[in-house]
Order: sequence, then structure tokens, then C-alpha cells
Amino acid sequence: MSGYNLDADTARDRLRSEFGRARRTLSVVLEDNAAKVGFAIIVAFGFLGLFGPYIAPYAPIEDTLRQGGSIMRLTSPSVKAPFGTTSFGKDVLSQFLAGARPTLIVGLFGGVGTGVVGFLVGLTSGYFGGRVDEFLMRLTDLTFALPLLPMALVILSFVTPSIWVITAVLVVFLWKMPARVIRSEVITVKERTFVKSARARGAGHTRTMFLHVAPNVLGIGFLYTAYAVGWSIVAGASLAFLGFGDPTTTSWGRMLQQVFRSGAIRTAWWWVLPPALGIGAVTTAVFLVGRAFEEIVNPDLQTEQE
Amino acid sequence: MTFRRFLAKRTLIAVVLTLISVSVIFATLRLLPAGPFSGLVASGSLTPEQVEQVRAMYGLDEPMYVQYIKYIQNLFTLQFGISITQQRPVGEIIIPALVNTLVLLLPALVATAIVSSLAGMYAGWNRGSWFEQSSIVVTTVFRATPIFVTGILLLIVFSYGLDWLPAFGMRSPLANPQGYAETYLSVDFLKHYLLPFTATVLFYSGDFLMLARNSVVERKGSEFLMLHRAKGLSEMEQLGRAGRNSLLPLVTYFALRTGMLFQGVITLEVVFAWPGIGRALVQAILQQDYPTVQAAVFIMALAVIVMNLTADVAYAKLDPTVGAGDV
Repeated sequence: MSGYNLDADTARDRLRSEFGRARRTLSVVLEDNAAKVGFAIIVAFGFLGLFGPYIAPYAPIEDTLRQGGSIMRLTSPSVKAPFGTTSFGKDVLSQFLAGARPTLIVGLFGGVGTGVVGFLVGLTSGYFGGRVDEFLMRLTDLTFALPLLPMALVILSFVTPSIWVITAVLVVFLWKMPARVIRSEVITVKERTFVKSARARGAGHTRTMFLHVAPNVLGIGFLYTAYAVGWSIVAGASLAFLGFGDPTTTSWGRMLQQVFRSGAIRTAWWWVLPPALGIGAVTTAVFLVGRAFEEIVNPDLQTEQE
Repeated sequence: MTFRRFLAKRTLIAVVLTLISVSVIFATLRLLPAGPFSGLVASGSLTPEQVEQVRAMYGLDEPMYVQYIKYIQNLFTLQFGISITQQRPVGEIIIPALVNTLVLLLPALVATAIVSSLAGMYAGWNRGSWFEQSSIVVTTVFRATPIFVTGILLLIVFSYGLDWLPAFGMRSPLANPQGYAETYLSVDFLKHYLLPFTATVLFYSGDFLMLARNSVVERKGSEFLMLHRAKGLSEMEQLGRAGRNSLLPLVTYFALRTGMLFQGVITLEVVFAWPGIGRALVQAILQQDYPTVQAAVFIMALAVIVMNLTADVAYAKLDPTVGAGDV
């Protein structure tokens, strides 16, 4: 055999080369101006998610702001409450700062969970083909047929919603998207010579699948994980807005639900804008970065769904 | 595989999927802790005889498998039962709501599909232009932002801020229209219609724009266009040819989108208090009106399945290379 020997490739080398590739990809993505803005927003959002609750001047649910003897209800922005107060006399700025965290958790874990499950299902389905493929693809068809938001609403009306329950429900209904795309990519990759030669030289299924096929579809896996983060944030916020969010935390979706339910939406623009623009900005940021990344990965995209 | 066999196989899969998904809905509603009908009996205001009557009325006194068979039978004959909270047939609640949703969404979807597909083709043809860059960013913003957030922002600007358009419902509270023509053809309706329509168009514009743009970009370098160029067709004529070739993904995408419409706009209907099926579902869930919940979720699932089938078939019919083998 000539100089090129796949088996000499240790896991460490592979990781290093993957890491290097990821860094190069990121620098290319960041050449895109929209992606640059998006990336900055994501970093800021991550910062809020981690430290928001600590820099919030008041406890978002407990503290009621008072002026003189009376509760400050629906006051417009002032020195004491820079973003104004809610109709319950809570500080909007504090709620906004603390509200990033549950939004981030649902987005991050829902997205990563969706990416991982979808990647594994797509990989298995595409690699083995035949009955395995048929079974897994009918299963994805079924999750496509079961509408996400209505099913989530039904489930959450029985089970007490917590951030983790919501995250789990989202993963159960979202993994189908990456699964289909990954599968179709795997099908083309597995026909390539290096995969066949690995099999011919006695590599097992697991080894071939994860060491030879998987790295070649990893880019698309990441792309769909990024999109899944966006979908999870949207779905989580939608559920919260409809009143099916975690009742113990203040998320941006829940803030919007409260301002909408209370009727204060007519006047209290200071209460509406922070969570609305927050959600809009962060989901947009995720999709802008994803789009720039997509130009590089260019998986000759399957165009269906969400 | 011949087209007929392909059609048969796909239809069969769709029917099986429908059966499985209604079963999942049935099971979900009954297996979760605190069964769906417990609230009905737990209110305590009914005498034991009345409880028995109610249970019999909803078939709860029968074994689970009988309930299941009846449920399936009823769904396929579109008998959705009696609403628990409103004491009238669920069909009378769901069908008008469904019509309201379609009236809102279908025109919006068609308008988006046409306008943003054309814009996308133009953008793809002028790759790298100012128009391409900005149209992609703008539509991505609206595509990424949850539709209810866009709706809320439209509301606070155009209803509460400028006071140009009504914020609530489909007709003004005093209007008491009879029949479809009176309901949907009036200035009053149009005023209520504009904001949710705009939100929907903005939300869906990004998908069609990107699809059309990508497929024009892909085809721009292809050989058949070089042939057309060699034949001396003008830029616009070439774009026309490329555009015609891009129709296939757009048509199938349109079908898929239509299927997903109902579930997608639940939050939108809540924001604008639009009396559609999404809002009916949320209200039914909040009021624990399970026959209505079942019917609404069933219709939403059915819409997806039927439109997916349509998309598959359209794809096979329009693209001969697909129908032949790879299905």
C-alpha cells in the first residue's frame, strides 16, 4: 500500500484536524457581515444567559417596586426602573436580564438534543439502508404528521411544564428535520471509495460509520443543530406565550404572555419591546450565522420543512 | 416503479400514517395522568345519575377498545362528538374556525409564493447585487422571528400606536354578518384582515425567496442555459427559462407549507384574536374540552399528511427522473 494509511489516523489526530477545520470555517463564516452581527448578538445573549440574573438590579418575580407608599404599576422608564415596570409593579429590566436564561436553556439543549438525535438517526438510517432505513423513515414521517405545537400543548396541559420537560418535548418533535437531511447525505457518502475500501479492509460497521462516514456529514450536522437552536427558541417562546411555559421562571416568552394577558399591551410599550426584540434578535442571529455557514457546507439542500 | 404503483404505495402509507397518528392522539389524551374527562366529573356539582348520563353520552362507560374503535369510526365519518363546554356538535365549532383560518392563510400564502418567488429568482439571477444581499437579510429576519412577535410589533405600531387598524378579532363587535359573502366581503373585514395577513406574508416570504434564489443560482451555470445564451435569448428570456426549471421545488414546497399552516399560526391567531382553528384549539385545551381538542389536532395532522402526499405525487408527476426509480 502506498503512503496513505487511514488506520494510522488516531482519534486525537482526527479531533485536531476537525478542530482546525472548525476554526477555519468559523473565520470564513465571519467574513459575512450579517453573520458577524449575528455572532455578536449570540455572544451577548450567551453572556445574558450566564450572568443576567446576577446583574439584574431586582429579583424579577419577588421584588415589587414602590414609590412613596404605593406600588409602581405600569410606570414608564425612569431612573429607578430604566425599562419601566409591569402592571404587577415588577422591574422590566430585571425580568429582561433574567429572562434570557430560560430562553437560552431551552434553545441550547433543545437544539443540541435535536441535532444529536437527528444525526444518529440519519446516520444509522442512511448507512444501513434496507429495513432499518424503512423503519426509521416511517417513524420520521409519523413525527412529521404529528403537529409539534398542538401536541406539545396537549402534553403540557397534563404535565406540569418545566424547562426540562419542554426541552424534551421539543427534541421528540424536532429530531426529524436533521435526520432526513443527514440520511440523504450519508447515502451519497457511503458510496465513495474510501468507505468501501475501509469496509473491504475489515473495518466494522460501527467504526466505518463513525470514523469514515460521520466526519463527512458533520458540517451539515452542525448546521442543522444551529437551526434547531433557533427552532427551539421559537417553539419554547411560542409555548410560553400561549401560557404553557414553566410557571416558575421568567422567560421572554412568558413576559410577552403577561403583558398580552394583562391588556397592558395597549400602552406599556416599554414592557413589550425588550422581550419581543430580544427573541427576534437572537433567533435572527442564529439563522444569519446558519445561512452564512450553509453557503460553505452547501449540502445541495433538501428544501422541506420549517 | 410505475406511477400508478407509486401512487398506491404513497396513498397506503398516508392512510396508515393517519391511523397511527390518530391512535397516538387518542393514547396521549387517555394515558397521561389526570385523564381528559376527569374534570368533567370532578366538578362535584352533578348528581351520581347525571355523572352516569354524562359518562354514557361520551361513551366513557364502555371498555377502552370499544371507545377506540368508535373514536376511529367517528373521525372518518367526521362525527367529532359533542363539545363539553359548549354543548353543541364539535363540527359546528371546528368547521367555521377552519374556514376562517383558510380565508386568512391561503391568500397570504399564495401572495407570498408568487411575489417572493419572483423576487428570489431576480435575486439569484443578480447574484451579489445589493438587492440579493438585502432581500436575504430582511426576509431572514422575518423568517427567524417568531410570527407572534412580528404580530405583536405590528399591533403596537399600527393599532395601539397609530390607531389605524383594529387590533382584535375578524369583524367589529357590532357587525353581525349572515353568510359567507357578508362575513368576508366588507371594508370592516378588510381592516381586521390587513395586519394578520401582513404578518403571515412577512413570515413565509423568506422560504420562497431562498428556494427560488438557490435554484436559479444552481441553474445559472448549467449547460442548457449556455445553449439558450448561444441561441441569442435575452437576459429576461433566459431568466424565464431558468425560472421555469425552478418551479418544481417551489410547487412541492407550497404543498408542504399549506399542510403545516394550521399548526404554524396558532400563536398568530391568538395575538390577533382571529377566530380560527388554532385559537379554537388553545381555548379548548384551556377549557379541557377534549372532543374539540381531538378534532382540532386530527384536522391539523390530516392536513400535513394529505399535503405531504400531494407534494410527493406532484413531484413524481412533474419530474420524470424522480418517478422512475428513486421513490
